[in-house]
This record gives sequence, C-alpha cells and structure tokens, in this order.
Amino acid sequence: MVEPLRIVDFGRSSPLRSQTLWHAIAYGVSASERATLSFTRPTAPYVCLGYHRGIEEVDRDYCAEKGLPLLRRMVGGGPVYLDGDQLFFQICLPARAVPAARCQALRLLLEPVVTAFRAVGVPAMLDDDLEICAGDRKICGHGAARIEDAVVVCGNLIERFDHERAARVLALADPCQRDQTLTLMRRFVAPTPIDPAAFQAALITAYAAALGLGPRLGGLTGTERTALVSLDENFASDAWLAGPARPAMARTGAASARQVKVRSGVWTLGASYDGARVAASVVRGMIELVRLHDRALNGSKDRAERALTGISLQSVARVLAGFGDPGRRLAVAFATADPARL
Amino acid sequence: MAEAPLVIVAGFPLALDRRYQAETHMWVLQSGPGRVRIGMDPLGIETSGTLAQLSFSPTGTELSAGRPFGELEAAKFVGPLISPVSGTVASVNEEVARDPGLAERDPYGAGWLIEANVSEIADEGSGLLAEPAEITAWFAARVAHYRRSGLIAQ
Repeated sequence: MVEPLRIVDFGRSSPLRSQTLWHAIAYGVSASERATLSFTRPTAPYVCLGYHRGIEEVDRDYCAEKGLPLLRRMVGGGPVYLDGDQLFFQICLPARAVPAARCQALRLLLEPVVTAFRAVGVPAMLDDDLEICAGDRKICGHGAARIEDAVVVCGNLIERFDHERAARVLALADPCQRDQTLTLMRRFVAPTPIDPAAFQAALITAYAAALGLGPRLGGLTGTERTALVSLDENFASDAWLAGPARPAMARTGAASARQVKVRSGVWTLGASYDGARVAASVVRGMIELVRLHDRALNGSKDRAERALTGISLQSVARVLAGFGDPGRRLAVAFATADPARL
Repeated sequence: MAEAPLVIVAGFPLALDRRYQAETHMWVLQSGPGRVRIGMDPLGIETSGTLAQLSFSPTGTELSAGRPFGELEAAKFVGPLISPVSGTVASVNEEVARDPGLAERDPYGAGWLIEANVSEIADEGSGLLAEPAEITAWFAARVAHYRRSGLIAQ
C-alpha cells in the first residue's frame, strides 16, 4: 500500500497564521513522520524576515505607517514582502526521508515545483543556484529548514507582484540603491498569473509522484494544534522578532555595506566609507550601473562611473586606483561587497 | 592555540590532534582543563554549501550531545549545529558569527564555533573518533561516499 502524502489546505490565513500553521505542521511531522504538503494564502500583506536576518534590514517606520506586520520565519533567506496575491506552499518530510546534504535535499524538494509549473504551461527551470525561474526571471521564492526531525521547504506561486512595495519595505539609506533595487526587481522577478487551483492540483500530483506517496486530504493533529498555540504566542513576541543573537558589525569609522539580493547572481550594493558612497547594480558579477559620491571627486564623478560600468567586481580596485584619494575611499567601500553571503 | 598539524586525505586537510563526531563532521579539541573547542571539519562545511549565517546559543546554555548548539544557514536552508558533547557553552566565536567564511578558510583554527565546559570527554561511549588511524579511515570513506553521490567534485 502506498504511504500517504497528507494534503492540508488552510485557505486564507492571517499574516501570523500564514506562518505559524506550517511551522506547527513541521513539529507534527517531526513527531509523526507523516509527509505533508500544505497551502495557505495571507488575508493581508506583511513583511517576513528570514531566520537569521536583522530587523534593521526593514524600514519599520514605513511598515508601521502602512500597517504591515513584521514577522520572522524559521527558514532562511532575506526580508520579503508577502501578500494575498501569493499562494504559499510547504512540503514537509521526516528528516530521515531527505538527503542529509542540503543541496541534494533542496533539489529533491524543488524539482516537483518545476514539474508543476510546466504542467500548467509555465516554462520553469531549476537553475544551478537552485532557484526556480522562467528565462532570466525568478518566479518562485523559497526557503528551507530542519525543524526538529522534520525538513520543510516552502515556496510561493506569485500571481501578481508589487515590485514597488517589495523594494520600499527594505531599509536602504541610499535612495540610489532603492531605485536600482526596484529596477532589478522589475527585470528579474516575475509574477505568474495562472489559475492557482490548477497549479495547486499540479503541485500535489508532482510531489506525490516524486515521493512515491498517495495524496490524502487531512487536517491538523492534536500535537500540531498544541504547537500552533505556542507558535502563535512565540511568533508575536518581541524576543522572537529580534531573532538570534548576532555579533556587533561595523566598528566606528569602518566601512559599512547593505546588499540586497534580487535573485541569484543579481543584487545591489549600497556601501560607504569615510564619506564616500557607492550604489551599484551587479548582474552576474558585472557592474551594470553605479552611482558614486565623494567630497573630493569633483569633476571626475561621471568619468569614474563610466569607468566602473560594465567591469567585474574584481576589477574595481584597479580602476579606482586611477582616481586618487576619492578612488581609494570608494574602493574600500566597494570591498565590503560579499556576494557569497547575500 | 598552536596551529593544527594537518595531513591531506583525499584532497582535504585533516587535523589529527582532535576527536570527531562522524555523522555531523564536528570536531572537539581540548583547549584547557575541563574545556573543549568545537568546530566543523572542511568536509562538513563543503557539503553544507556556502555558509551564509551562523548563530550560537548564548554563553551559559546547557549543551546535550546530539542536540543543537546553534544554527547554520546555507542556500537559504537553516539547520541545526549538533553538539558532539554535553556541558555548557563557555564562549562563542564572534568573529566566525560575523564572518562565516572564516570557518571555510580556516576550519581547524580561527573558524572554530564555540567553546564548552565539560566534565569529561571520555573516548569510550562518547561516539567520538579519537585514534588517528580510525579518523583517517573514516574521513577517506566519507570523501569517497560524497564523491560517488555527486555531492563534492571528483
């Protein structure tokens, strides 16, 4: 007899519950070892932080003004804007059923999503960075975690995407970086306006086939309801929102940087050092657009920006060496970039 | 602490002056009376993917062998760092929390993760590999396994 894949469709949930429901399922799967695919859609927009990310990455004043709650999830990734135009899904399996290696586990659990998109006519693919895209554009966000003895991978069908608000909720000191982030989001993050019911059915079929399980409708167990009560309280607390302890970052006088990943290989950098400021768009290792500021750059600003446009990050220091003290300060700011850790 | 003496096994550096937890690739090194330093070996790091974030339980937290002492994030996947010993967290490496790449660049040295106060680290029953010959054999077998499964390059 085929083992069951429990399907739980929560329908519309409050922002808080759109997170806590599937976290509760993870605890249930950890205890029961019942593979589960769940769905939900938030009733209102909100902002959600990845487990390790700092609350200072979000413009809290803007969120408060717009009534956007701020929540923290247990899975990874950056701060994201979520709303009712996105259908969230979560596949949750006992850890013993998943390869121990993260990249293998992610591939196993993301490939059915690609299958589902293709089944409804979307030419999706899983790229080398394990991102689901169609052509150049990312079409599905994802994150993953091991929660006790369960592994959960979550993602979303983005039916419509509010690029402006997704960029606006981020705390970015330099307006140039915000503009560049929005431009790249429009270019590299695409909604998929398909029938969500058809996608949901295709996803159930794809996961059942990939995992060799039989779909069976279900609901929360007693264990999960108990976990849900606790998670509701925890996720609404200031302590949870603050996140895990993180070390102090920049020393006084040190260079500071803010990186925003738009999709794999596409990101913006806003960095400063000793009064010099940089805002740059980086696409596959090459600088596409850059805005510079330094008190002593004077008439060289345009020339320096042109010299940096189209070059690789590795070449920045060499190019800026030709611009004296301002070039040295700007090179230090650029050196804060760490694309491996976006 | 003195620089770790390393041997190369199947292309990876391996320090033989410490104990290893075979499943989790955590190493344990005595750093003082009743105190050990804990880190992750380069194979464990390589198979995790590029480390994006590390977080640790605060100083004073009780540790149980086989239970988490922190979290590791790579490829947007958050998972537990499993303690190889029981005891209490004595200190955490703030440098590696600030720059997880340190664990990739210097896994046996500056890339250590936490220090723990322990009552003892008995070889018998601890599940830790302690003898250089068994450590080398285990490590070589793991590299071969990961290469066969395509997890690391041939």
